[in-house]
Amino acid sequence: MTGLDVLVPSSPEEAVAAYGDGDGVTVIAGGTIVLPEITYGRLRPSKAILLKDAGLAGITRDGSRVTIGATTPVVELTELPAPIGPCAANVADSEIRAQGTVGGNLCAGIGPEAPRGDLQGALLAVGATVRTGGSGGEKTQPLEEFLADREGKLLLDVSYDEPAAGAFASLDRPHTHDYTALAVSAARAEDGTTRLAVSGVAGHAVRLPSAEAKADNPQAAGEAAAGDATFADDALASAWYRGQTLPVLVRRALTQLQEA
Amino acid sequence: MRLTVNGIERGIESAPLTPLLYVLREELGITSPKAGCQQGGCGACTVLVDGEARRACLLAVAAVDGAEITTVEGLGAPEALSAIQTAFHEHYAAQCGFCTSGMLIAAHAYLEHGGSGERESIQETLSGHVCRCTGYVKIIDAVAAAAGGEITSRQKWLPQTGEESPVEVPGAPA
Amino acid sequence: MKAVGARLPRYDGVAHVTGRTTFVDDVRVPGTLWVKALRSPAHNADIKRLDTSKAEAMEGVHAIITWQDVPLLEYGHLSALGIPADEPLLAKDEVRYKGQPIAVVAAEDETKAQLAVEAIELDLEEKPALFDVRKAFDSDAPVVHQWGNWYTHFEDEMDRRQIRKGSIQEAFDKADVIVQGVYRPAAIEHVPLETQVCQVVPEADGRLTIYSCTQALYFSMGVVAAHLQVPLNRLKFVGGTVGGGFGGKVDTATETMCSLLALKSGKPIKWRWTREEEFLCSSTRAPWHMEIADAVTKDGWILGRKMLTLHDSGAYSRFSPYGLTKHSFHHTGAYTIPNLEFDGYVVYTNRVPTTAMRGFGVTSVSFAVETHMNRIAKELGLDPFEIRLKNANRIGDTSPNGIVYTDPSTVPTILAVADELGHELPADYRTMSSEKREGELLPEHLVGQLGNPEDH
Ligand SMILES: Cc1cc2nc3c(=O)[nH]c(=O)nc-3n(C[C@H](O)[C@H](O)[C@H](O)COP(=O)(O)OP(=O)(O)OC[C@H]3O[C@@H](n4cnc5c(N)ncnc54)[C@H](O)[C@@H]3O)c2cc1C
Ligand code: FES
Ligand code: FES
Repeated sequence: MTGLDVLVPSSPEEAVAAYGDGDGVTVIAGGTIVLPEITYGRLRPSKAILLKDAGLAGITRDGSRVTIGATTPVVELTELPAPIGPCAANVADSEIRAQGTVGGNLCAGIGPEAPRGDLQGALLAVGATVRTGGSGGEKTQPLEEFLADREGKLLLDVSYDEPAAGAFASLDRPHTHDYTALAVSAARAEDGTTRLAVSGVAGHAVRLPSAEAKADNPQAAGEAAAGDATFADDALASAWYRGQTLPVLVRRALTQLQEA
Repeated sequence: MRLTVNGIERGIESAPLTPLLYVLREELGITSPKAGCQQGGCGACTVLVDGEARRACLLAVAAVDGAEITTVEGLGAPEALSAIQTAFHEHYAAQCGFCTSGMLIAAHAYLEHGGSGERESIQETLSGHVCRCTGYVKIIDAVAAAAGGEITSRQKWLPQTGEESPVEVPGAPA
Repeated sequence: MKAVGARLPRYDGVAHVTGRTTFVDDVRVPGTLWVKALRSPAHNADIKRLDTSKAEAMEGVHAIITWQDVPLLEYGHLSALGIPADEPLLAKDEVRYKGQPIAVVAAEDETKAQLAVEAIELDLEEKPALFDVRKAFDSDAPVVHQWGNWYTHFEDEMDRRQIRKGSIQEAFDKADVIVQGVYRPAAIEHVPLETQVCQVVPEADGRLTIYSCTQALYFSMGVVAAHLQVPLNRLKFVGGTVGGGFGGKVDTATETMCSLLALKSGKPIKWRWTREEEFLCSSTRAPWHMEIADAVTKDGWILGRKMLTLHDSGAYSRFSPYGLTKHSFHHTGAYTIPNLEFDGYVVYTNRVPTTAMRGFGVTSVSFAVETHMNRIAKELGLDPFEIRLKNANRIGDTSPNGIVYTDPSTVPTILAVADELGHELPADYRTMSSEKREGELLPEHLVGQLGNPEDH
């Protein structure tokens, strides 16, 4: 690891400055995903930024607007209302939740065998927006857009309006160290719109627009959901199994939401 | 970089992204944290970082610069076992012993944070720790006993002679 | 007998709970080099070119070994029992499973060793691979092994483990029902928390001290000595502290290669497998394919059993011929069946070679037999406890390989299970014992089948 440059910024501004346009920079938040990549030699950073002291942690509230700093540990989200709280509580085990961050979760790798960020689904369902620094300066954009193109962006925080109601339905994990094979988050905004999102699909988590259009009818919404996602085979479950269970999870989440 | 390990302050030479686990084992020669998977999946490397149980394989040493680290060596010595160490020994919670350091650290943190001793809360606490030998029951028994919680019904399955230690065995606690 | 029934403190308990137990990875030897392996990325391929020269020239690299460095390249795990060797320590002309070691590098740290592994030039020509034991016998199946697709060296060069007892034809003629089943337990990785690890120290007197996590110390010593072609007294094995084995540490996975690296480099050597290597490259419990057809009377007596077993050995034999032999001896489980026709094959596939795991060869057949007992009970509409008690091994019954049982425990075990579950049994079952079947207790199909335990 000769020639390695490790920066430990002590404010958000310093972090953004250290990050620059992000070219060749390895960001380390909790490190629960990125450190094994380094240990196993799949990633050999030349420049790394440790975010631990960058002042990006914490949850703040402004009326119904909730803002979560990028380096807030996952454990601090577990008491939030559904879908975020139950989704966060379903991530790994208590020790990893205390170390892993929201930002790392939203920026988790992509690919069938890559670690996934389960919180992506819950935060999509509440219509979150993210604030980022990096190439092109500070930007605020919907989480969906961010997930589709994270290149050159340093995540600073994520915010959303607290929903009127939320729900979370997932396949059971055989062990706390199994990722959830498939999970559906649902939220009803104050204005009555319902958003649905699924994690555990191929790539990052996605919204389920066809199911959202039928949100009043959980059964029909479940049936419609299958067309909104693509599934992949991995060690946790087959694409087929995920395809079969998505309608069930959508139905459960929407039923919970109706009862909430 | 500096670390205080089991009460002793040490300067650290390893490269900044070296996992804390390597620093402890290879640079400082403290071998109780084990490299079971080096990817957060087994819990065998768990140490206390400023009093919190953390996976030493997931922490770059630069991320814990200045921290206070406690390993099992710092919990208690053979002649002065801590409560949780005694409980593990007496409840046969260590079989091959490879997972034991991580289990002890997690259990110790649980007790320090006022863990209730209820089986479910112990299970939740240890859920990230893999033991391939014991089947967990004895480990949970040990933590429950140390927490002063209910002694479990499994206890009646153990043969009881009424004697503390009927046979002289080297290494047995007094 | 003060110890019986008493709670004895573990002799190693205090060391475990104070973190002072010295596992192999905890042995500290200054100047130790770390090892990484070049492993086959293909399931089945010919090696066209292997060139380590660039890797050897890299900074921090002290030694690389390939097949050319091994004095005796092929030594079988059971060579000492007369089972011929088939597996090279390091692949020579071909690779037969993904993860098979081709070269090992010793360097100053793991990163340097890994970079050197990546610098080794390897050209492979991939061939079709075989993963399904059922397809191994097809005429167009890829050929996996130098002996063909199954082991051919049982006694008298038989190509299978075969058991014949009584008259299977007669049993099937007399049967009211034939109950069939196919059972296919999958491979299982042992997952010891301590991955394969070994530390070798070259001593000044030319001997090697080998800290090993082996479950079978003297066995591993023999394997290393044979590959190295040195007498046993050149090797000092230090073992006994194993971070979980479960059968997976019977194979000599690391010791031989580390010894060769220690001799070549003159330095202490350590190889600790990653968790991924442990999962992908260490041997597993075998997957099995078992077909059972039983000749059964409508009141639940099993008159005869035909069984075909395909034991997926993976790419090489290792212990599989022995495992299959044990399997064959147990193919009636805890029950007595007088007429048997058993054929078992050790089949090669392009999987990682398989090995012992907790009841080597027997757990698979126990799973099949017990599931089959339930299936028989279900098809006949009988109580699964009663059918087990009826066919249970008793004193004087004989095993498939002709051993006369002198102290079988099937009956008391099943009665105890029934008690524990609160399962009601009719009085004549409840009072059953392991006593020899005599008089009216002797069913017709067992007449003339019983042995005399006194002779044993
Ligand atoms: C045993 C185990 C079990 C797990 N189980 C789950 C699970 O059930 N569900 C789940 O979702 N996850 C799981 N994880 C994965 C991981 O722990 C979580 O996703 C965690 O939230 C990741 O956060 P982190 O801060 O540790 O990420 P890091 O490892 O620090 O970073 C992850 C990625 O995000 C990038 N990154 C981090 N922060 C930023 C930022 N602010 N801006 C831009 N890029 C950034 C990093 O460069 C890296 O590429 C598990 C991990 C382990 C080890
Ligand atoms: S070695 Fe750290 S969790 Fe397994
Ligand atoms: S005692 Fe062996 S892994 Fe837990």
